[in-house]
Amino acid sequence: MLSEFVQQIINGLTIGGIYSLLALGLTVVYGILGIAHFAHGSIAMLGGYFIFVLLKKVGLPFFGAIAVAMPAGAVLGIFIERWAYRPVQEDSPINAFIIALGLTMVIDGANLLMFGADQVVIPTKYNNVIHLGKVAIVELRLYVILTTVLLILGMTAFINRTSTGMAVRAVAQNRAAAILMGIDVNRIPAIIFAISSALGVAAGAFVGALFAIAPGVGENYVIKGFAVLILGGLGSIPGAVVGGLVIGVSETLAAGFISSSYKDVIAFLVMIFVMLLRPEGLLGKAER
Amino acid sequence: MKKKGTWFVGTAIVLGSAAFLPGIVTVPYYLHLTILALIWVVVAQGQNLIQGYTGYVTIAQGGFMGIGAYSSALLSVKLGWPVWGTLALTPLLTGLLAILVGYPSLRVKGHYFAIVTLAFNMVIYIVLFNYRSLTGGEAGLTDIPRLGDLLSGMIGFSALSSFYYLALLAAVITTGMCWLLINSRVGRNLIAIRQNEALTDGIGIAIWRYKLFAFVASASMAGLGGGLYAHFIGFINPDTFTVGQSLNAILAVIVGGSGTLLGPVVGSFVVVFLPEYLRIADFFRLIVYGLILILATIFMPKGIVFVVGQLLKKMEGIRSDK
Repeated sequence: MLSEFVQQIINGLTIGGIYSLLALGLTVVYGILGIAHFAHGSIAMLGGYFIFVLLKKVGLPFFGAIAVAMPAGAVLGIFIERWAYRPVQEDSPINAFIIALGLTMVIDGANLLMFGADQVVIPTKYNNVIHLGKVAIVELRLYVILTTVLLILGMTAFINRTSTGMAVRAVAQNRAAAILMGIDVNRIPAIIFAISSALGVAAGAFVGALFAIAPGVGENYVIKGFAVLILGGLGSIPGAVVGGLVIGVSETLAAGFISSSYKDVIAFLVMIFVMLLRPEGLLGKAER
Repeated sequence: MKKKGTWFVGTAIVLGSAAFLPGIVTVPYYLHLTILALIWVVVAQGQNLIQGYTGYVTIAQGGFMGIGAYSSALLSVKLGWPVWGTLALTPLLTGLLAILVGYPSLRVKGHYFAIVTLAFNMVIYIVLFNYRSLTGGEAGLTDIPRLGDLLSGMIGFSALSSFYYLALLAAVITTGMCWLLINSRVGRNLIAIRQNEALTDGIGIAIWRYKLFAFVASASMAGLGGGLYAHFIGFINPDTFTVGQSLNAILAVIVGGSGTLLGPVVGSFVVVFLPEYLRIADFFRLIVYGLILILATIFMPKGIVFVVGQLLKKMEGIRSDK
């Protein structure tokens, strides 16, 4: 019983880590630009497909393919920001959301066209199972957790330690004052989208390797990502991490001990319950 | 006064031609699409009430359609209740659920509200999908009594034409009710909440009551739309009531013109007919639809109704110059 519990917690932390990674990409975009970037899930799936092709056709190793695909994702992010979101940045926020929906359709359509409707699993050679007492961990899961932690730390360091990161925080706090300080505010959204999309691509790779990529999967993940965001507090980076782990763990516990078909319901109920007690999220700052 | 006159004449012309549509449109497929668009008008007017007028974007309209569709279908199929009765019950049942959903959801604002309602839509979908003994799961419910056949026996038109008139009636009544509502004190309070919620609260209006009202009313309309859909097609499964469907309702409102009475009507026809026309593009359909959406949002952010209004004004200007 206890070992099964620990097993579920570890599985939950893996999936929760992926949720955190996705939510991180969403939260920087939301926190700094105020855009509900719904197309993030589709970008992640595109990244997953791309890595699958790099593995199969080019023969790169799994993590090598991720290292190639992340910069490609960043370029795509910059392109999307420039040609889809920037034209509506002065309009009401709902218009950016509609753009996001349009982008989701375009990217999903492109995925379908390029990679077909069949489900894709990215093959890796990290299939050894490590036994710790009665608890079993697949090697790949360990690497996924490790990489996720590294990516999250790297991004936090970038935002908190570098001068570009400082410029990003300045724009988030006060756009007008940032302009007066000589920050090129048109460059910031491009940087944000580059980071966000690169993280999304990594998340897509992990989803593809641990589970599967298929049409429509991206939406499910982005919805989870938003749930994590709400749970942790919109725009909060630690919130995205904590929220992701909470949703991931409660989901796997629910699947293991209550009912696997209703695991998503339970994840959402946790989110709604937290919303009622703390409308600003677990780690969010109270607005108003 | 003159403007009111033009409105009246315009409405009369549109409704008059709508009454003869089944005689003009001989291809059943187009009439079928028109009926779907009219059902969408009911749903989109609801979405507009909360999104366009009150300023709260809900992403649950698809789920509420599902509640309406399943409750009416189940009551008529499993309990054998008369279809008219179960259809009339759909707004009430959906409204009741909406009170339960709206009460916690409306404690939060903006994107928070949108995502919480989206989560409720997911919950509704998952329950419809997994509660097999009641809903039939993925396979859905078949042999739902079709209102078209019933009506056809009463008024003598073909089943399709009969249902067309029913859908038209529903769309006209819902739009009319929204018009009455928007021009009432309640409607003005809703608009006030959109424009400045804190101020509206400050002058002593019980805003939570009005917000809940708008949410419940919009869900009821979605429920009615769902009920109409179930008794039109005769078959339902959970895939019709996904988050995607809720997003379509948002699109209908935005594309047509948010916060206008005509917008949802125009938008409903766009979201039903445009994807059908894009079938020619087959593989590229999703991409083309998405691109149209993006371009429309960039180049006419206020919707079709606004753009056409501007054009008409310009034309009037040219005429009076002469």
